[in-house]
Amino acid sequence: MSALLEAKELRKSFGGVKAVQGISLSIPEHSIYAVIGPNGAGKSTMMNLLSGTYQPDAGELLFAGRQLAGLPAHQRVRLGLARTFQKIRLFKQLSLLDNVLAGFHIHHKVPAWQYLIPGAAFWRDWTHCREQGMALLEFVGLADLAMQRAGSLAYGQQRMLEIARAMATGPRLFMLDEPAAGLNSVEVGFLLQRLKDMRERGITVVVVEHNMDLVMKVADHVFVMDRGEYLFEGAPREVQNNPKVIEAYLGGEFTGGLDS
Amino acid sequence: MSRRVADALSRPVRWPAFLGALVVIALLPMVLGTPYWRGILVVCAMNVLLAMSLNLVIGYTGQLSLGQSGFFAIGAYVTTVLLKSYGWNFWLAGVAAVLAAGLVGLLLAAFAARLRGHYLGIASLGFAVIVYQILINWESVTKGVRGIYGIMPPPPIRLPGLPEISFGNQATLFYLVAGIALCVYVILDNLVRSPIGETLRAIREDEISAASLGVNGARWKAFSFGVSAAIAGLAGCFYPGFVGTLVPDAFGIVESFTMLAMVIVGGMGTMIGPVIGAVVLTFLPEVLRGFGDFRLIVYGLALTLVVLFMPGGILQAWQILTARLRGTEASESTGGGR
Amino acid sequence: MSDFLALILQQSINGIYLGCLYVLVALGLTLIYGVMNQINFAHADFVTVGAFAAFFSATRLFTKWMGMSDGTGYVLSIFMALAAGALLGLLVNAAVFAPLRNRSDELRPLIATIGVSVLLENAQLILFGPIPFQFDSPFAQNTIRFGKIFFSEQSVLVVIVAALAIGGLYSFMKFTFLGKALRAVSQDRETAGLMGINENFLIALTIVIASALAGMAGALLGPVIVLTPFAGASVIVKAFAIVIIGGFGNMEGTIIAGILVGIIEAFTVQYLGSGVIDLVVFVLLLFMLVVKPTGLIAERREENV
Repeated sequence: MSALLEAKELRKSFGGVKAVQGISLSIPEHSIYAVIGPNGAGKSTMMNLLSGTYQPDAGELLFAGRQLAGLPAHQRVRLGLARTFQKIRLFKQLSLLDNVLAGFHIHHKVPAWQYLIPGAAFWRDWTHCREQGMALLEFVGLADLAMQRAGSLAYGQQRMLEIARAMATGPRLFMLDEPAAGLNSVEVGFLLQRLKDMRERGITVVVVEHNMDLVMKVADHVFVMDRGEYLFEGAPREVQNNPKVIEAYLGGEFTGGLDS
Repeated sequence: MSRRVADALSRPVRWPAFLGALVVIALLPMVLGTPYWRGILVVCAMNVLLAMSLNLVIGYTGQLSLGQSGFFAIGAYVTTVLLKSYGWNFWLAGVAAVLAAGLVGLLLAAFAARLRGHYLGIASLGFAVIVYQILINWESVTKGVRGIYGIMPPPPIRLPGLPEISFGNQATLFYLVAGIALCVYVILDNLVRSPIGETLRAIREDEISAASLGVNGARWKAFSFGVSAAIAGLAGCFYPGFVGTLVPDAFGIVESFTMLAMVIVGGMGTMIGPVIGAVVLTFLPEVLRGFGDFRLIVYGLALTLVVLFMPGGILQAWQILTARLRGTEASESTGGGR
Repeated sequence: MSDFLALILQQSINGIYLGCLYVLVALGLTLIYGVMNQINFAHADFVTVGAFAAFFSATRLFTKWMGMSDGTGYVLSIFMALAAGALLGLLVNAAVFAPLRNRSDELRPLIATIGVSVLLENAQLILFGPIPFQFDSPFAQNTIRFGKIFFSEQSVLVVIVAALAIGGLYSFMKFTFLGKALRAVSQDRETAGLMGINENFLIALTIVIASALAGMAGALLGPVIVLTPFAGASVIVKAFAIVIIGGFGNMEGTIIAGILVGIIEAFTVQYLGSGVIDLVVFVLLLFMLVVKPTGLIAERREENV
């Protein structure tokens, strides 16, 4: 399998803190790729570098053979990168459907004047987006609540809505930042199934996770970071039995809380 | 098709409201028949345009702008100077003024790309002060504080086979400005319901999140500022011909605050809210004339009280009230709150 | 000393004197912003109220009715202005800021203060009328001379009073428990609760200090500006510019920016004329916002995603 996303020697520091120190990874297409590590491993920074929220201090990023360096986040979306956030960032005042509809931003094909005076093309797009949006809400199990305000959702539902919204951009590579944080076991089960469905649909999924159990159940390949550096990578079983990984998780200050 | 999808696809029916608005506009100058009240009506129509323009930036895009009086001024002065000093046709001068205001709006948007919240507010306030100061100091063009006098209303329209439409009286001028305001309303309403509206609201709610969906925040903020400035400039085109004179003091920063007050009092982030706000705040001082010297005190007090007791503006207060009367929960569809 | 050098020195001194006045007005805005994250547009009217309070106590109460000398009357009137500002601040806090505080909203309190501003201006219009009052300071006529440099006793008084007020406020913020609590709140809302201080009290205190400063500035500005019910507006837009240039909520930045703007104004008057002062100040403001949006001496923070 060919690599969809390749990172070479990525580096990023904030002030004096080296958050990511020379990470190289290669994400194969049509797989579920997990990035794990204890608190402060630099996972979220890594995610922000891949999505373009931060620009790296040094290193190279290739997506389907194309250089990503210097491209801002919103342009990477057009290439097929989508993401969710560790700290959920929904449009809280908008309805669930409107949240998802905003995700179709890069896909509208309507002559500009029709935004002012709607014509046939506008209404075709309008209908299409709403049908697709409802289908995505169905996919994450929220279609019944489509007209409710996003801010009124329970925490687990907010996570799922954020996933549906990002899916609307039509990604080739979908990066989820700690998607299971704060979910109960039923919700985690549902999430796992959805991740597998995405892989079935041909989407390459990257999961940045703190929770090892989740990763072991779903990932094809696991990449382990610790303190901004590469620690180990391989199949879930290899990772689980690797002494270095076990030490990083057990020997380190395992707090089980949020990672920044 | 499932019931839920059908709900999502239901389109609002708007033509009855549009017809109603047409009837109201047609009848208003007859109900308020004196030249004085018809003059107030013209001012009201201009205020509606200004409030709608500001609402696009504040209510829909979530950018605090206190510079709207600057765009209003650019519209008024560009029209008048082209008309009086260069002998342009009014309509052509008007188009140039709208474009000029829109372009300056794009310029201010360059700041909006870097600034947030109160910083943007004060920067845009600074912009309004700069425009005001230029009007005062650039005497060779603007005549400074002495002002420009004897400005004629828009020239009559002569269409073959129809009687000449003259704008010399307040009623026809009102029909002109109110008609334009209605057109702008419909177009803006279409715009904010379109994917562009979805994009602007996404920026209002969370810009980083919007970027993760492919939205170029700087570009769409520029769009919003540009369109908003152009509409304020459009309102400015009609102001000098209506008043007959043009002095910088008509465009002080207080005007920006008044526009902001209209948006907030009516209900920002909704289309009809700012219209209500503009109507209420235009007529309130007139209705309060009975209070004599105290009327502006009452006006200030009313403004404060509305904000204190109706956080979502008059529109939301009305919706809550009617919902209570029907015995149901208040709807949350108005948005706007941040 | 060469004439040129004397001119530079003279204008710098004029600038510092002006700057002191601006700092007194701008500090209140910055305090309120720092602690409450809110803009008070009625601040200008606190200045006007202070100016009128000083005018009537200096020219009527202390001198005509209580028979003090003009000089004592004016100095005491500064305290009257301070008290008037503080009292007004207390009222506005109770009416606007306290009720709106918990709505975590930056727009509505701003509009509410615009309403208060309209109310105050027009109340004063009814009380005092639109015709400007002639407020002469007894110290304005006496000039002090050092070689080629002149300044009035009034400007010395202004600088001394401003320095005392700024110094007092600064040491209050730095060295007292309450002051430290205020600074803690401006950095992090929740800390105040942890320190066991009632947040409502801290906010009321902030508004009262800010308004007292504005009132006091009114007493010192009264003899300089055209004293009408709308007088404060002429100073307030400049004060906003200063607050931004100094970095919103940053005390030291505001003091430096205020003096800087005063000096720039003095030189603008000398070389470009008094008509373009606001133009120069606001172009400088926009330039600052492009180059360093966080203000003169603030540090940059990256948004946490």
